Amino acid sequence: MLRIEKLSKGYGDRAVLQDLSLAIAPGEIYGLLGPNGAGKTTTINIICNLLKADRGLVEIDGQPISSATQKLIGIAPQENLLYRSLTCRENLNFFARIYGLSRSTRLKQVSYCLEAVNLSDRANSPVETLSGGMQRRLSMAIALVHQPRLVILDEPTTGLDIEARYEIWELIRQLRHQGITVLLTTHLLEEAERLCQRIGILKGGKLLAEGTLTELQQHVPATEVALVKTPEEERAIDRALTHGFTPRRYGSDLAFWLPRAMELAEILECFRGIPLDSVCRQPVRLEHIYMEVTQFGAAP
Amino acid sequence: MGLIKYWQEALAVARRILLELCRRQRSLFLWVMFPVFVLLLNGYILADQPQATVKEAFEAAAPMTLVGAALFFSCLGGTVATVVSEREQQTLKRLFLTPLSGLSYFFGIFLAHSCIGIGQTLLVYTSAAFLQARFNGSLWLGGLIVLLSIIAYVGLGFTLGTQIARRIEDVNALVAAFGVPLLMLGGAFVPLSFLPTPLREIAKYNPVYHMNEALTRVSAAGDGIEAIAPNLYFLTGFALLMVISSGFAYRQMLTLERRL
Repeated sequence: MLRIEKLSKGYGDRAVLQDLSLAIAPGEIYGLLGPNGAGKTTTINIICNLLKADRGLVEIDGQPISSATQKLIGIAPQENLLYRSLTCRENLNFFARIYGLSRSTRLKQVSYCLEAVNLSDRANSPVETLSGGMQRRLSMAIALVHQPRLVILDEPTTGLDIEARYEIWELIRQLRHQGITVLLTTHLLEEAERLCQRIGILKGGKLLAEGTLTELQQHVPATEVALVKTPEEERAIDRALTHGFTPRRYGSDLAFWLPRAMELAEILECFRGIPLDSVCRQPVRLEHIYMEVTQFGAAP
Repeated sequence: MGLIKYWQEALAVARRILLELCRRQRSLFLWVMFPVFVLLLNGYILADQPQATVKEAFEAAAPMTLVGAALFFSCLGGTVATVVSEREQQTLKRLFLTPLSGLSYFFGIFLAHSCIGIGQTLLVYTSAAFLQARFNGSLWLGGLIVLLSIIAYVGLGFTLGTQIARRIEDVNALVAAFGVPLLMLGGAFVPLSFLPTPLREIAKYNPVYHMNEALTRVSAAGDGIEAIAPNLYFLTGFALLMVISSGFAYRQMLTLERRL
C-alpha cells in the first residue's frame, strides 16, 4: 500500500531523513516510533505531498505521490483542527464535499463515520461542546469520510485520558478489521505494542530497526529484565556483571538484562549481601527495545 | 469535470463560512444593524443640507453606505477575519491536506461574501425605500458595480489576511489603519463635496471613491455606463489586480503554512 525507498530530505546542512526505506502492506497497522526530531513528521509531510523530498521514491497503492494521491490518504493530525462552531455532521459534510463525494455517498459516509466513531448521538452538537476524546474521534472520522486506502494517525491519543484512549484504540482495531492500512506515529510505546503488527524505530532520519515485536526483540540480548532498587548501585552492577547480566539505566532506574529465564529467588541469590529495596522481574517490552535501539543502535 | 470540481469545492467553502456566520447570531445581528444605522445617519446628515429632500438625501446616502461602509466591513474585514481565524485555529493546515485548490478556496470566500454583500445591498436599498428613496438607474449596472466592489474587497482582504494579519487581533488594527482613511477619502461617511480640493484629487486614486462615485451616479442620478466609464475602468482594474495579488499571496502562504 505504501512504499518508501531511499527517501532523503534536508534543511540546509541538516539531514532530516537519510535513505529511509519502508513498506506497509494493505490492511497493516504500522507504527513509526522515534524521539522528537527523528523525522516522523517530515515523513508524513512528504507522504501527504505537503513537502518535496530531496531524493527517493514514495508510492501509495502503486502511484507516485502527487495531488491525485491525496484522495487515497486520510490523516488525523496531532491537533484536532476542527471548525469549532459547526456540528460534527457539518464538519464531516464539509470535508466530504471538499473530497467531491456525491450527495448519496456523502450522506451514507457521514452517517457511517459518525456511527464508526460512536458519535451518532452527538451528530448535531457543535464541536466546542464535545470532550477532548470526542473531538479526537471526530477528527478520525474526518480522516475516514472519503474512504481512504491509507490512514495516517499522528499521535492519536496524546493528551487524552485513559478512557478516551481505550476508545481510540478500539477504533483503530476496527479500521484494521475493515482492511484499512494505518500508519501510526506515537510516543506511547504501549499503544504501538497493543495495536501495530509491525513497528519501525526512527532516529536522526534513519530507520534503525523494523519488524514485528518478536523480530524487534532480537535487538535485545535477553527475554527478561530485572529492575533493581538499591542504595549500593555500583556494587550491584559489579555483581551483576559477574553473573552475565547486562546493566542498563532508564532514567534513574537501574535494570539488568537477564541472560536466561530466571526465578526471582535465583535473581535475589545473585545479589546476596547487597542491600536491596526492591527487585522486579518483567518480560522484555517495546520500551526496552526502543531504548536499546535509540541509545545503542540496532543489533546487526 | 475540472470546473465542476472547482465549483463544488468553492460551494463547500462558501456554505461553511455562511454556516459559521449563522452560528454566531450576535455577529449576524450586528451585520444587519450596522448598515441600517449608517444609512440613517448618512441620510439625515444629507437631509439637513439646504434644499435637500429626504428622498434625495437617502438616494445619495444608500450607495455611499453600501459600498463605503457595509461592503467594506463585511467583505474586506470579513475576508481578513475568515483567513486569519483559519490560520489561528490551524484549520487551514487541515484544508491543505485535502485536494482543495487555492482557486476554489478564494472563490468560496468570494461566494460567501457575495451572499453577505447581496444581503446587505437588499437591506440598504429596502431600508432606503421606506424613506422614499428609489434606485433610478440600471439595476444590472448597479449590480455590476456591487459585484466588482465585492471582488476588490475580497481580493484585498485575502491579500491582507494572508500577508499581514497573523492573529485575529491584527484585523482591527488593519481595518483601522487602512480602512478608516480610505473610507473617509472615499466619501463613505462624509460626502466628497465636503472635502477640500487637494483631498478630492487624492481621492481619485482611492478605489472606494470610484465604487462610491459609480454607484451614486447610477443609483441616485440614473446615469448610464458612458457617464461612469472612468470609474468602472478603475474599479475593474483594481478588482483584477486584487485577484492576481491574492493568487500570489495564497502561493506565499502555502510555503509558510502547508506543513503539519
